[in-house]
Amino acid sequence: MGNAKRFILAVLLVSVLFTNGGCSRKDTKSDQLTICFAFQDLETEYWVAAHKAITETLKAKNIRVLQRNAHQDANRQLEQVRDAIAQDVDGIIMIPQDGQSAVTIIGEANKAGIPIGVFNRPPADRSNPALVVVADNTAIAEDAVAYMAKAARRLNRKITPLILVGDLGDQNSIERKNGFYNAVNANPDLFKKPIEVPTKWDAVTTLANLEAALQVEPGVDFIFTSSDFLYPQIKAVLEPLGKWKPIGDAGHVILGGLDGDSTAYKLMREGYVDATGVQDLFFEADAIMKALIEAIEKDRTKPDKWIQDPGFALTQENMAERQMDMWGCRILKEAEAGTTK
Amino acid sequence: MRTGRTLLRLPGGIVLSDHFVLVLTVVYFLLIWSIYPHMAARRNIANLFSNVWPLLALVIGQMFVLIVGGIDLSQTSIMAVTSVLGAMIMAGRFDPAKFEHNPLWGVVFSEQGGLLAGSGWAVPVAIMLMLAVGVGIGFVTGLAVAKLKMPPFMVTLVAMSFFSGLAIYLTRSENIMHLPESFIAVGKGSIGPVPSAMLIVVTLAALAFVILNLSILGRWLYAVGQNIRTACVSGVPTGRVVILAYVFSGFCAGLGSILYSARLEAGRPTLGRNLLLDVIGAAVIGGISLYGGKGRVLAAVYGVLFFVVLDNSLNKMPLEFYSIDIIKGGIILLAALLDALRTRIASRQTVPEGIS
Repeated sequence: MGNAKRFILAVLLVSVLFTNGGCSRKDTKSDQLTICFAFQDLETEYWVAAHKAITETLKAKNIRVLQRNAHQDANRQLEQVRDAIAQDVDGIIMIPQDGQSAVTIIGEANKAGIPIGVFNRPPADRSNPALVVVADNTAIAEDAVAYMAKAARRLNRKITPLILVGDLGDQNSIERKNGFYNAVNANPDLFKKPIEVPTKWDAVTTLANLEAALQVEPGVDFIFTSSDFLYPQIKAVLEPLGKWKPIGDAGHVILGGLDGDSTAYKLMREGYVDATGVQDLFFEADAIMKALIEAIEKDRTKPDKWIQDPGFALTQENMAERQMDMWGCRILKEAEAGTTK
Repeated sequence: MRTGRTLLRLPGGIVLSDHFVLVLTVVYFLLIWSIYPHMAARRNIANLFSNVWPLLALVIGQMFVLIVGGIDLSQTSIMAVTSVLGAMIMAGRFDPAKFEHNPLWGVVFSEQGGLLAGSGWAVPVAIMLMLAVGVGIGFVTGLAVAKLKMPPFMVTLVAMSFFSGLAIYLTRSENIMHLPESFIAVGKGSIGPVPSAMLIVVTLAALAFVILNLSILGRWLYAVGQNIRTACVSGVPTGRVVILAYVFSGFCAGLGSILYSARLEAGRPTLGRNLLLDVIGAAVIGGISLYGGKGRVLAAVYGVLFFVVLDNSLNKMPLEFYSIDIIKGGIILLAALLDALRTRIASRQTVPEGIS
C-alpha cells in the first residue's frame, strides 16, 4: 500500500513536470513590455510614494512590472538586476542602494543592451550611460536654509546651527549638505560653527547621535534635517528638553528639512517647521517612466540623459499658494478626503 | 521483479538519501523551468553560478565552526573590514570631497590613491592583507572561545559589532571605488571558459574536503563537535582544533570579501550586512547541524545551490515584493521541516539495526 502511494506520487510529479515543460519550454516574447523595478528598500515615505507612483502608472499602461526589493543590500540588488537581465526584460528602473553600486549595475545593463533608468539617487559618476532623474538637491536645500536664516535673523543673536547629515555614500546627501553650507556661509555674521550629526539615513542612529549632540551643545537653536523622515526623531529629542515649540513661542528651534513628505507638511501646518525643500516626486516618476518607455520604443539600448527636478522650498511665507505642489500635502489631502468619504 | 521493487522504493530512498537537498533543488529547478523557460537560459545559469561561488566560500567556513559546535556571526563584519582595508591599499584614486576628513587621509591613502596604487604589488598585497586580517580575526575569536571558554554566540556577536563599526569608522561610511581591473577580474573575470571565482572556490572546497575527510584534523573537528569532553579525554588538542576552525572561517570570510568586493567593484564598509541569514540558512538547509559534529562539503554545496536557485526563481516571478519574502521564508521553512522529518525517519530506521 505504501509503495503504491509512493508510485502514484512519483508518477504525478513526473507528469506535472513533463506536461508543463513540454508545452512551455519555448522562448516566446509577448507584445507586453516587461520592466524590472529594482529598489533598495521602502524605508521612507518618499520611497513608498515613489514606488506606488511608478508601479501603478506602469501597470495602468499595461506594462508587466517585476518588483525587486534589495533590502538595502547592494550585492542583492546587483543579483536581482542580473536575474532580470537574464529574463530579457525590456527595461529597468532602479532606485540604487548608493551611487557607487549604481555605476556597477548600470554597467551590467549596458553590457546586456537593456536601457536603464535611475530614479532620484544618481550614480557616483557618468562613466556608464543611463537615464537619470534627480532633484537639484543643492539648490533646494540652499533655498530652504536661506529662508530659515531669514527667520533666524529676527532673533538678533548668533545662532548655533545643526545639520542631520545623511549617508555620505549617497550623492543626494552630499548635495544637501553642500546646499546647507552655501546658505550658512552666506551669513557669516549670523551663524556659529555648524554641528554635523551623522544619521546614515537611519532613525535609531539619528536619535542616539542627536541626543548626544544636544547634551554637548544644548544651545542649538537651528536644525536642518537632510530628510523629512527624521522629524519624529527630532521631536523625540527636543520635546523632553522643552524645545519643541511652535513658531512664535520663546525657545522655538528653527526647523527645516528636505523631501516634502506629509509629516513635514503637517508640522508646517501646525507651525513647528519653518521651511522644507520639496522634490517633485510625481514629476520625477513621470519623467523617468516616459524617458525609459521612449528609449525602449526607439530601441535605444544605452540612453544617456540626466533629467533635473528643480524642486522648490515651501516656506511659511509661500505655503498658502504652493502647498498643493508639495507631494506630501497632496497625499495627505487625498488620504483625508478618503477618510471623510 | 526485483528491479520493480527497487523502483517503487526509489522516492522513499531519495528522501532518506544524503543527496536529498540536491534532488529537491533539481526537482524545484525543473518545475520552475517548466513555467519560466528563462530559468535554464545560458545567461541565467551563468548568473546562478556566479551567485553560488562567493556564498559557498562563506558557508564552507561557517561549516567548520558549526562542526565543532560553534557559530561564527562575525563572518560578515570580517568581510566589511577586509573589503575596506584591501581597497585602501590598492584603489587608484580617492575623492577628496568624501575622504579628506578621514583620519587616514594622507597617511594610508590620498587623492592619488592607496598606499600601493599603481604598483604591480598592489593587488597581491591587498589580497594577502584581506586574507591575513580574516585569519587574524578568526584567531582572536577562536582564542576567546577555546581558551577563555566564552560562548561562541557572544564572542562572534561582539566581534561582528566591533568590526562592522570599525569598517564604518575607517571609511566614514564611504564606499571606495576605482579598484584595479586585475582585482575586479578575480570576481568577474574568467580563465578561458572557467570563471575565476569558480576556480578559487572549487579549490577551497577541495581543500576543505581534504581537511575533513582525509586528515587527522578532520577527525578531530568531528570529535570535538560530537563530544568535546570525550575528545579531550581521547587526547585531541581541543583548544587548538576550535581555534583552527575559527581561523578557517575567518580565512573563508576574507576570501568571500575578495569575491564580493570584486563583483561590486568597490570596498564597502557595509559589505555582507544582510548575508548572515543566507550563510547560516544555507548551511542548515544543506544538513549541517547547529549542534555540532555533522557537516560535509557536499552538504554546504547543496545548501547554497538550494538557496541560490530559490532566490533566482523568485526573481523570475511577477510577484509583489513583500510576497517574495513571505514565499522565500515559507519554502525555507518547508525545506527545513522536510529535512528534520527525514532525519527522524532515518534515525528510526537505523537505531534497531544498530541495536541488533
